[in-house]
Amino acid sequence: MKHESNDQTKWLCDKCQRELELAKVKVRYMEGNFEVDLMKCPTCNQVFIDEALALGKMKEVEEGLEDK
Amino acid sequence: MNLDKLLETGDRCIHKEPPTCTAQCPVHLEIIDFLSEIEKGNFQNAYKLMEKKMPFHNIIGRICDHPCEAPCERSKAGGSIRISDLEKAVLEYGAYKPKKVWPLPKNKGKVAIIGGGLSGLTTAIDLDKKGYSVTIFEKTNRLGGRLWDFVGESMTEELLQQEMKAIADKKITIHFDATVDQKRLAELLTEYDAVYLGTAAWEEPIEANPVTFQVGDSTLFVGGQLLNKSDSVILSASSGRRAAISIERYLSKVSLTDSRDREGVFETPLQFDITSKKPLLPIEKTAAIYSREEAIEEAQRCVKCQCRKCIEGCVHLRKFEMSPDAYIRQINHSERIILGTHYANKMINSCAECGLCKEECFLDISMNDVIHETRESMVQRGKMPVSAHDFALKDMAFSNSSRFSLVRKQPSKEESKDLFYYPLISFSDYVKGLYKGTGKTEYLFYPGCQLPASYPDDIKSIYEYLVGHVKGDVGIYLGCCGAPADWAGQQGLMNENIEAIKKVWTEMEQPTFILACSSCIRIFEKYLPEIKVESLWDIYVREGLPNKDHIKIPQTLSIHDACGTRENSDLHESVRKIVAKLGYGIEELEYTKEKTKCCGYGGLVYYANREQSNAFVSERIGESENDLLVYCAMCKDLFVSGGKRTYHLLDLIYPKDEGESATRKMPTLSERHQNRSRVKQILLKEIWREEPLEGVMEDNFTLIIPEDVKKNIEDRYILMEDIQAVLKNAEAKNERFCNPDTGEYLAKLRRDNVTFWVKYEKEEESFLIKSVYSHRMEILEEDGNSGGTK
Ligand SMILES: [Zn+2]
Repeated sequence: MKHESNDQTKWLCDKCQRELELAKVKVRYMEGNFEVDLMKCPTCNQVFIDEALALGKMKEVEEGLEDK
Repeated sequence: MNLDKLLETGDRCIHKEPPTCTAQCPVHLEIIDFLSEIEKGNFQNAYKLMEKKMPFHNIIGRICDHPCEAPCERSKAGGSIRISDLEKAVLEYGAYKPKKVWPLPKNKGKVAIIGGGLSGLTTAIDLDKKGYSVTIFEKTNRLGGRLWDFVGESMTEELLQQEMKAIADKKITIHFDATVDQKRLAELLTEYDAVYLGTAAWEEPIEANPVTFQVGDSTLFVGGQLLNKSDSVILSASSGRRAAISIERYLSKVSLTDSRDREGVFETPLQFDITSKKPLLPIEKTAAIYSREEAIEEAQRCVKCQCRKCIEGCVHLRKFEMSPDAYIRQINHSERIILGTHYANKMINSCAECGLCKEECFLDISMNDVIHETRESMVQRGKMPVSAHDFALKDMAFSNSSRFSLVRKQPSKEESKDLFYYPLISFSDYVKGLYKGTGKTEYLFYPGCQLPASYPDDIKSIYEYLVGHVKGDVGIYLGCCGAPADWAGQQGLMNENIEAIKKVWTEMEQPTFILACSSCIRIFEKYLPEIKVESLWDIYVREGLPNKDHIKIPQTLSIHDACGTRENSDLHESVRKIVAKLGYGIEELEYTKEKTKCCGYGGLVYYANREQSNAFVSERIGESENDLLVYCAMCKDLFVSGGKRTYHLLDLIYPKDEGESATRKMPTLSERHQNRSRVKQILLKEIWREEPLEGVMEDNFTLIIPEDVKKNIEDRYILMEDIQAVLKNAEAKNERFCNPDTGEYLAKLRRDNVTFWVKYEKEEESFLIKSVYSHRMEILEEDGNSGGTK
């Protein structure tokens, strides 16, 4: 579920005013726990997910897990 | 879930059953396939099908007594298909040189065949092919027996000679002029492993097993005319073939009787309704044999009998290309999977649970019940995809929360005494009703959740009408009957809901419920049979309509009955009486009343598979040129959203001045919430004259939402309150991302089991919403929280 689009490089964390960095992030759905590379703020750790990722790959994984 | 019972139901489905022509053909020629090949002009493929099933197809194809033709369903619509003539044409145009078959070593046993007629030759050839050493005892000096009587135009002497020579050329021993009598038979029975008796007559009566053709438990087997007591050639050949099967089973020491119930002629359970087919007369031959073109044309008359009644009526079964038997096999598979993907989930959640399949089925098989039970089982086993019904269940929770739910007795006489003055007391039925108040609630008006969401302004009018017209006090009860929980297979939630309704009913001293929503009617019938219910529409018919002069333009309407009312014929009549009384003409749809279809909302398919829901909508609205008339809020909303002019009965009974009601758009999901809350506020304020306890919506941000974003918000099941919550959190805590190039913000908030994201720009005091989306997956941020505020 690795994701990096051109768009997100322009985004900053508004709270910390820092540029986002690609990092390993833990995600969870139903009984599935795994690590993926996502953009996040290195200070406060908030993770950035854009529309294409949420409605694309992420939804696909969710549906896959729901049918398990 | 009882899977054995499930599979039994699947086995009862007659979709896969053979047509009567094949069942009545003693050798089961696959006639539908045979005719399809001819239709396509593939005479050689048709020939192969004859070769596969018909012993001596070159002979029998020309002289068959065709028991397949008389029962042909086409006989009821023009005349039976001329199968026999088509076989002759196929032998003419599709024959090819047989492939050379290398004989097997003859080491499986020795079989004597008495009688070189059609049945004996069939047994001989079949056993020879399987590797038995076969010896024929023929009393005359040639093979073929009575086949020689058939020599004529169709079958020439030359052809018969050729076919008989082919047998003689095989490694089969033939004794001509060999008369076998009782004594000789006894000898043969000791010399050979098995004996087949295929003579036309025998010295004394012989009793054979009707399935195995075995005489007692001896090594003697019988067939042909002696057994059949008929001169049918195809029956003779069939019995020879079946005897060969018995002999092989006997000599291989396996059961002679296992799964042989469909050998020879049998009655197919298939039922077929030909009434919708246009009669077509048989194509007449212009010569002794059909020309290719004539044959193709004749084959085209075949209706390919197969029961597809439920499939034809149901856009869900058609979309997934499923017959009930196949569907049930998939469910069975899905229920048994322990590890792996449940591929059938989407399909199971795409059924509207409308019940038309059962109505159409000759055998009353209800896929509705099967699928419903499957959903309950999925929920119990924790295998129901949450996303399928989550929104609908949250919507139900909303309706049963204090934001909508309400129970009130009719305002008492004491509370209403300020209304009892002239002229009100003389001219307002409502006030007269209040004046007659007894304090005992005879009726409880239960409008459901979707009607108030779609028709918020009419609920008060209906309530006042009821107080003014029915005998006895009328209370009100706002809430959701639980239909979403039922459709979602959530038995626990459903039972909780039912108990809550029962409690109110008991506390109110068991009043009659007045229902206006077809889903409520279905739910009350299914789960609350002890509660007496009346439909609002029945009451309008009994007590008279509230308004006069409502009609704007007289026109003809087609009535779409709500699928939840399928069994309720009184209700169907009431609706028609109201429509007629209002001055409209009625043109019935093909699928109407007990055979009505679903609008595309039922079974929560609207939430679980929007594409499937759209298919329901577009099929139904395409069935009439007329404007539609419905009496379920969801039917109206879905049809209008599909682009069809549709009236709800309330549009006609309570006409509005503003706008065209037949094209009035469905309220958004958020508006549905707001409308329900508004109904509660209006009723409390204007009927019970209570001060509302809570504001509908307070301190909200002002949002500017472009049309395309609005549509996405709807399609993604996102509510305005979700957006407001995201913004509130972002503004308060700066928990958001910013894009210095564009000035945009992107903020998120986890609410319950969903994370909502809003991209926006601030414009002075308002927020321009650029996009909204959500996901269910939880992001575990390092500090341990998941981006939520809880
Ligand atoms: Zn930060």
